[in-house]
Amino acid sequence: MRYALNKIFHGLLLVLGVTLISFILMVWFGPDQTYSLVGKNATAEQIAEVRHELGYDRSFALRYAGYLKQLFTLDLGSSHSSGEPVNSILARTIPVTLALMVPGFVLGNLLGIALGLLSVQQKGRWTDRLITGFSVSSMSISFLVIIILMQVILSTPYGLNLFPVRGWQVNDPGSYLKYVAVPTLSLIFITLGYNTRFYRAVFAEEAGRDHIRTARAYGASTATILWKHVLKNSLVPIITRFMFSIPLIVVSGSLLIESYFGIPGIGKVTFDAITSGDQPVLKAVVGLTAIAFVLIQVLTDFLYKLVDPRIG
Amino acid sequence: MRHFIRILFIFLAVLPLAACDRPAEDPGPAVTYSVYRHSMDGAPTSTDPAQASHIYANFLAVNLYDTLYRYKYLARPYQLEPNLAEGLPQVSADGLIYTIRIKPGVHFIDDPAFPDGKGRVVRAEDFVYSIKRHFDPKTRAQGAWLWQGKIVGLDSWKENGSNYDQEIPGLKALDDRTLQIQLIKPFPQLTHTLAQGFSAIVSREAVDYYGPEFPIRPVGSGPYRLVSFNSASAVLVRNERFREEPFSLEAEGYDPVSHGHLALDRLEGRVPPFSDRIEIEFITEDAARWNAFLAGELDFVKVPVSQFDQVLQQREPPALKPAFAEKYNLLANLESGFVHTDFNMDDPRIGYHPDPRQNARNQALRCAIIKAFDWQKRNEVFYYGIGQVFAGIIPPAAPEFDQKQDQAAIIRDLAGARKLLGDNDWSADNLPVLEYGFSSSVTERQMFEQFRSFMGEMGYPPEKIRPLTFATYGDYARAFLNREVMLITTGWTMDYPDAENTVQLFYGPNSSPGSNSANYNNPEFNRLYRSSSGMQASDMRTAMYRHMNQLVIDDCATISGISRRLILLWSRKLAALPDRSFVGGYFFRFASVDAAEPESRGAGQ
Repeated sequence: MRYALNKIFHGLLLVLGVTLISFILMVWFGPDQTYSLVGKNATAEQIAEVRHELGYDRSFALRYAGYLKQLFTLDLGSSHSSGEPVNSILARTIPVTLALMVPGFVLGNLLGIALGLLSVQQKGRWTDRLITGFSVSSMSISFLVIIILMQVILSTPYGLNLFPVRGWQVNDPGSYLKYVAVPTLSLIFITLGYNTRFYRAVFAEEAGRDHIRTARAYGASTATILWKHVLKNSLVPIITRFMFSIPLIVVSGSLLIESYFGIPGIGKVTFDAITSGDQPVLKAVVGLTAIAFVLIQVLTDFLYKLVDPRIG
Repeated sequence: MRHFIRILFIFLAVLPLAACDRPAEDPGPAVTYSVYRHSMDGAPTSTDPAQASHIYANFLAVNLYDTLYRYKYLARPYQLEPNLAEGLPQVSADGLIYTIRIKPGVHFIDDPAFPDGKGRVVRAEDFVYSIKRHFDPKTRAQGAWLWQGKIVGLDSWKENGSNYDQEIPGLKALDDRTLQIQLIKPFPQLTHTLAQGFSAIVSREAVDYYGPEFPIRPVGSGPYRLVSFNSASAVLVRNERFREEPFSLEAEGYDPVSHGHLALDRLEGRVPPFSDRIEIEFITEDAARWNAFLAGELDFVKVPVSQFDQVLQQREPPALKPAFAEKYNLLANLESGFVHTDFNMDDPRIGYHPDPRQNARNQALRCAIIKAFDWQKRNEVFYYGIGQVFAGIIPPAAPEFDQKQDQAAIIRDLAGARKLLGDNDWSADNLPVLEYGFSSSVTERQMFEQFRSFMGEMGYPPEKIRPLTFATYGDYARAFLNREVMLITTGWTMDYPDAENTVQLFYGPNSSPGSNSANYNNPEFNRLYRSSSGMQASDMRTAMYRHMNQLVIDDCATISGISRRLILLWSRKLAALPDRSFVGGYFFRFASVDAAEPESRGAGQ
């Protein structure tokens, strides 16, 4: 209990620090939305009116206190651009982003783990070199090129023309699969190189430890060694990678994927808020990401203890 | 581990449920219906007419709401046509009082904002309310400039606290169907402003009911109603209660020579809106938009410049390659606006100077820069050579455009530029540092580098031409509206087909933060503007506009300009003349796609 309270207390301090820094950046260096919202031929008075309506004329301390209050009450205000309550925007877009990103994220990681294990098991042989070569290639190609290639190959008359190029008219599992297929394949391709390299390094380190040599000496099969000893003992870094990716998936989404596939998720909303200076949306996303990170950190610590009781 | 995998599978299995985005009110695909799938290269964030400040928002506003007037679908030059109004306004002899009757029996769509959820009749009072909203700071409206200082009592209504129960003497509903607008001084463009999305009519009940959510919960009386709206798309379905007004080719300005190939004749006598459903995709990424169009997922596209070579057989006049001509219609649409680079005349390094000699030298420097600017290359490199370069500030889309305007201001004359510099004691040593502002983007940067190379060829030291970059357009706008930028490149889209809308860009009292970002202030120009602003269209007024245009050219206040040409393609299955000029979007109600089974439309769908 004391451990948990300690973690939560430190987490709160972290949230305060992150929100303060991000708030300073937003207020002093972020885009000023006033000039996007005033009409043509605006007078100085009209500019002042808009600044007042946006709350730009309030003191920094007041604005920051208001921000913290919003975060703790989860009453996040309304978007300056559309007027829609931020809670409603989040409720509308986060499920879409989750549905979009989770399959690619999960499959990308599972495939990365499988390839990492295979690579370690075949260390030094051509299979290992092939996987390493593929990983480096995958990491070297730009996101954008992969997305456009996938669209051309899978969704246009120049290629197989199997799936929609873009859109998100999801009404049932069938339409979901139709719309999520190409983004998921793109995401897997984009992340597989990074995942494979990471997991291979983790597994290679584990495979070189004494207990693995001992298991081999006892005559344990390759599958047992990989599954029971290498994978299981690598769970701490795997959990770390998995868990700390969650807030990014839930809140930040993937701007490129959402933009190019026309998917109304949180990534696109966040990007638009950054470029337009829609502070209520931006503040909510930044604040919630910070809170999510802290919660994940606390949860991760508990999971560490679960998979490795030696961690204190 | 097994538990984890089990949980993972369950989670993946329920994901599609989270992804379902169909709102409850969406009727879904009918057995047979027609869907028009439109694409836009930008996205609106609001459907509120008070925020219809750009073409993307206008497209939604004029289709979800009613305006009193609209432009005829096919007639060019553009002609006003009554929309919700019964006829054109009755204007008093002194041009100050406009009386407008609205059509009877027009209803707002059914919505919970109304008692019993039944949309009530649109009344003249709704128009009064809608215009008042622009003058209420809480609305954060962007259209007040259209009527500011023009309607009796409207500005003071705002000064007195924007109390909606307080009447405005110059903006009255005489009865449920009659409006009266009293102007402070003649404003012949008033009727044009009543065709803008800004003037669309909202109901007070809906604004009050939805509060801050009103911008995404439109309740109008236009030809369509909204089903869904987000950052990627908007879906509109036919307003079943929209008034029945049979389509007339003649009334809309049909010309068999220009429009004969568009298959519009089969629509004669039918009642718009012709499409049951309109799906608008907001696709800012050129490659994604183009791929979706080629895959048959869109009926209309603005072709990205990068694809012009693939699509066009010839540039002048633009014509499609046979493979595209078989499947698509083409419109080479000259924008109703222009791009120009203004000198900040308020900056004594390049603009007005209290010392007459230096003032003359600055003018010579500006003129030299204009002479050194190569419009043909600008057009070739950035606009595929199909933009229309013109001299001055009255673009080709304006009815007052002068075909015979002297072209000297857009013809490169390096020798003349160097001579001007030399004659006025400008040398590489004493030339001022030029700060060229732009919002950060690759294209803008390339334009800056091209500008620097043009000036370099004149002898301007490259190190004295510096970029002044801003992260977003909003930041850039803040800087130039605060007079902090020396060279300001901007575009202007005309609000209505009248050159008054562009000459006002150089009217002294409109200086920053107004739309005169050049801060140009020529007493003769100002006098002419004041005299012409109350005049009805006439040869005399046109002559005055052209004189004002020449004054700006002679004073070398701006490097201007080019009207971009957009290449628009649409499927031959679509009987329509899509148009983005001026207000844009009125054509939706006339867009007719062959009715088809929804499942059969679009590859891969």
